[in-house]
Amino acid sequence: MQLFLSQVINGVGNGVVFATVALALVLIFRTTRVLNFAQGEMALFSAYISWKLTTFDLPVWVAIGISMAIAFVAGAVIERTLIRPMEGHSPLNVVIITLGLFLGLNALVQLIFGTDPQSMPSPFPKGSVSFIADTRVQKVTIGLMVVLLVECAALWLLLNRTTLGLKLRAVASNPDSARLHGIRAGSMLMFGWAISAAIGALAGSLVASERAALDASLMQVVLVYALAAAALGGFDSIWGAVVSGLVVGVADALTIQYVDALDGIEVVLPLGLILVVLVVMPNGLFGKRTVERV
Amino acid sequence: MLRSRKARIGASLLTLALLASACSSRDDDDAATGDEGSGGEDTESLIPTDHCATDPTEEIEGDVIKLVSSYPQSGQYAAYSEIARGWMAYFDKVNDEGGVQIGDRTFTIEYETADDQYNAAETAANIDRLVGPDGDGAFAVFSVVGTANNVAIRDTLHELCVPNLFAATGSPQWGNPDYPWMIGSTLTPYTIEAAAFAELLQEIKPDAKVAMLRQDDDFGDAYEAGFKMAIEGTDIELVEVQEYSPGTDPTPQVTSLANSGADAFLNGAALLPCPQALTAKEEAGWEAITWVSGTCLSKTLMGIAGEAGADAYGASNLKDPLNPDWDDDPAMQEYLETVQTYQPDGFDPENAVVGYGYTQAAIFIEALEQAEAPTRLAVMEAMYDLEVSDVGLLLPGVTIRTSPDDKFMGETVQLAQYEWTGPDARNHFVPQGDLIDYEGRTAEVTPEELINS
Amino acid sequence: MASDRSGAAVEPAVAGEAPATVARVRPSPWPEVPRPVRVARIVIGVVLAVAALYAPLYFEPDVNRLLSQAIYIAIAAMGLNLLTGFNGQVSIGHGAFFGVGAFTSAILIVDHGWTFEATIPVSAALTGVLGLLVGIPALRVRGLYLALVTLGLAVLFPRITQKYVDGTGGVPLLRPSRREFASLIEGLDDDQWAYYLCLAIMALLFVLAWNLVRGRVGRAMIAVRDQELAATTVGVNLAATKVGTFAVSAAYAGVAGSLSVMVDKLADGTNPILYFQRSIEFLVAMVIGGTATILGPAVGALVLVLLRRNTQDLIEGKEILAPALFGAALIVIVFVLPEGLVGGVRRLLLRLGQRTSARGRAPTAP
Repeated sequence: MQLFLSQVINGVGNGVVFATVALALVLIFRTTRVLNFAQGEMALFSAYISWKLTTFDLPVWVAIGISMAIAFVAGAVIERTLIRPMEGHSPLNVVIITLGLFLGLNALVQLIFGTDPQSMPSPFPKGSVSFIADTRVQKVTIGLMVVLLVECAALWLLLNRTTLGLKLRAVASNPDSARLHGIRAGSMLMFGWAISAAIGALAGSLVASERAALDASLMQVVLVYALAAAALGGFDSIWGAVVSGLVVGVADALTIQYVDALDGIEVVLPLGLILVVLVVMPNGLFGKRTVERV
Repeated sequence: MLRSRKARIGASLLTLALLASACSSRDDDDAATGDEGSGGEDTESLIPTDHCATDPTEEIEGDVIKLVSSYPQSGQYAAYSEIARGWMAYFDKVNDEGGVQIGDRTFTIEYETADDQYNAAETAANIDRLVGPDGDGAFAVFSVVGTANNVAIRDTLHELCVPNLFAATGSPQWGNPDYPWMIGSTLTPYTIEAAAFAELLQEIKPDAKVAMLRQDDDFGDAYEAGFKMAIEGTDIELVEVQEYSPGTDPTPQVTSLANSGADAFLNGAALLPCPQALTAKEEAGWEAITWVSGTCLSKTLMGIAGEAGADAYGASNLKDPLNPDWDDDPAMQEYLETVQTYQPDGFDPENAVVGYGYTQAAIFIEALEQAEAPTRLAVMEAMYDLEVSDVGLLLPGVTIRTSPDDKFMGETVQLAQYEWTGPDARNHFVPQGDLIDYEGRTAEVTPEELINS
Repeated sequence: MASDRSGAAVEPAVAGEAPATVARVRPSPWPEVPRPVRVARIVIGVVLAVAALYAPLYFEPDVNRLLSQAIYIAIAAMGLNLLTGFNGQVSIGHGAFFGVGAFTSAILIVDHGWTFEATIPVSAALTGVLGLLVGIPALRVRGLYLALVTLGLAVLFPRITQKYVDGTGGVPLLRPSRREFASLIEGLDDDQWAYYLCLAIMALLFVLAWNLVRGRVGRAMIAVRDQELAATTVGVNLAATKVGTFAVSAAYAGVAGSLSVMVDKLADGTNPILYFQRSIEFLVAMVIGGTATILGPAVGALVLVLLRRNTQDLIEGKEILAPALFGAALIVIVFVLPEGLVGGVRRLLLRLGQRTSARGRAPTAP
């Protein structure tokens, strides 16, 4: 029992990481209908900026804050210069561009910051607290959960309870129609990317501090799991992303513990999970049902 | 405006330019390709030459020894390119000081490398291109990184009888007698590491229960098989083994191991997962005698583990630039000076991996100077007849010995334990006890199928 | 005199009357091709064919290998094009089919002593069946989600080889001997033979694809892509079309994988992201060449391969930047030619054709 709980806690620990990245992915999809393959690397770049700032003796949260601000601006710039010109063309073009960004950012990170892994200070206190049945939960995990929940609540409020959020969703759903209503679609798209980049920066910095180390490959494996989590939750739902992230994390940890046959290929689990869920529920666990008009 | 017709034409022209730039005529090379006879004069050599597509007794023309290599220079594993910094600096210095002497001729060392991004297929392509279909593109292949990468090239090089030297992994299969033209480096074979841990346990906890974390590939296979073999007939028990995939966080695996009731931990993880495993162990509150893989003995990796890595054991045969005991050592100072002079761009003096590359070059130069003639066969024979100590950053008392029956170099190791004194201290591995000598015994401690694979 | 959009003169017959020419709507999805354009196309075609045939005799084995790589990537990209470009199902998993094809050939050669050429049909059949199996659940999964599930396949494949393939040197790497791929034609070197074999197979498969797309099946595929519901109302069997396309497209990738064993002389499962990278390669080749065109995948594959090679050693001492330069180049290409190279060239030719054609023709839809 204790072992089971321990693994569940491990799973939650990893799952929170997946959830934070999935959140950024879902956000950008909800606001701009783009699947941003470069999300992981953008987060990585921001994480490195956070790290660099801490080496100048800035407190961790300040560093992360500045990094988020930089990412905000960068996200808007990227949307305006690289993504917007592709409007009206095949969505695959945008995929290629995000791929180009992926490669470019990863290489730039290695060039600017070096290839050695770096140690990222944690914004949360070290150590763990006692939990039920003799298990322990990392303070970092609790901290991440709190941040995640705050983020979710804030984003949900933004999207569902503010005019700005309404405009964002309108543009995402039908840009032309939104324009006819006087909404400046371009600004909304930029804002969507900006916010997602900032959330991504937060995610990246937190992932780096949770893993205690930062190197160029940090986000690559995480990205696959985060994509799985986002898909599982249905790309439309903020809360869905979080819950799914946790589900994926826990499922992964439990598989490692209990299913020896999948030793080394545990990744089959989140992928199999998406497949099964999507076949049964094509819009993901939490997605909205789309009605198709002829 | 980007979408103007001019830009489009420009793009199409660019394509043509790309095509043109890749070309060089096929006929250019025909003149250089001499008529190579098959097989060489069969000198009473222990190294088979009958199958050679080239003549390994052909002397080098001119005064250049050309080495080629392929290793990750970009992408995820770009950090491995630091190995090359070490050997390039050493060769640059040797050239500057007049070159290397074989017999009565002097040679300079030229090297050419290519990026394979750790991709075995790329390595094969790079080496094929650098060495050439007739083997006259290079004298030898040097320090290719990665087990799969070396496996991908060994057949071709074997057929051409081009030496593949200092393969940069600790895989026991570099001892495979079917590939005599290939030899490993001073990296301790993984099975010896496992045996060393077993021996340590015999001494300090003969009835230990061991839990092992290993990678899910051949690297992990070597640890597991080697360890199992080493504990046969002892009271040591291997109670649980967990596999992890490279790049993933092994915390769930370590949690499982921590709950197995083991009191010793073989941490066979490489790169980031190694400190992650150590941290996970500490967080699980697991007290165990820990061994870390040779691949984890770096300042950055152990630095990330921090206090969680305290008291971990490891083994190495090189001087650690982090260890203040070597600060005044002349060999260490020479090493630092050489790399600072010849390959300073981005050099981190505390990166032990550079020292490894540097030492391989030093040993190679020794072999060259020992060779009877400037031919591939003679140099290879010299590689099989090494008795080298006190070059590069080899620990005092470590002798690199090879013989026709034993082509493993890194068989003498120094046990060390990680001492952690604080987050800003110069934490490093402190040598414990005398050198452990496994000279000639790799075959003993390694299951045959691992060597002959 | 007034001129219409193409710049040709339009004479109003009599003041007040409508111009003499009337815009004509053609039912075919292919734009009307003016004669000069047709001639241009034939000329270009012949030149390219001659170049393709002569190339391996001129270039070094190293370059031939590069060109052969471009060919097998083109074949896989063509397969993806059928599925994604013409049928609208996005897949980032074709690397997995490619891998299955490669390992099928390698295993048959190394463990069972087959001749290489005989393994190709087996590979195609096996991956075709696999494509069928994947295509069925894909019916339920849409767009983005399909892309992600297929991504999972590409990520999973190397892990599976790691677990189940017993390669040489204890790693899941299979290295058939060079002799397996020896030239079957006197006077041709091994690398030249490999190139011609690849070229022949590519030609065959491309002609097949061209026929497929131009026929009824092709129209069904395109109809499903553009307006699925409407397509069902006119009697298109949705499931059969989609699953069938999946199968065919997977088979193309499988053949490409087999050919890669000949060209690269190995099947490699040691790199966990290799087959994901392959999937991306095919996608990139397809897009920059021109989605939903026939020549597109071939052009795109060639550009991809050359671009990668040329960005590798571009900046001395900063090799680490190579992927960044490559990525930047991709972005530039997509920007300048959003319809891909073939799409762009086609538009160019049409514009030229309209300028030089005799009467003022109706502007064709861009």
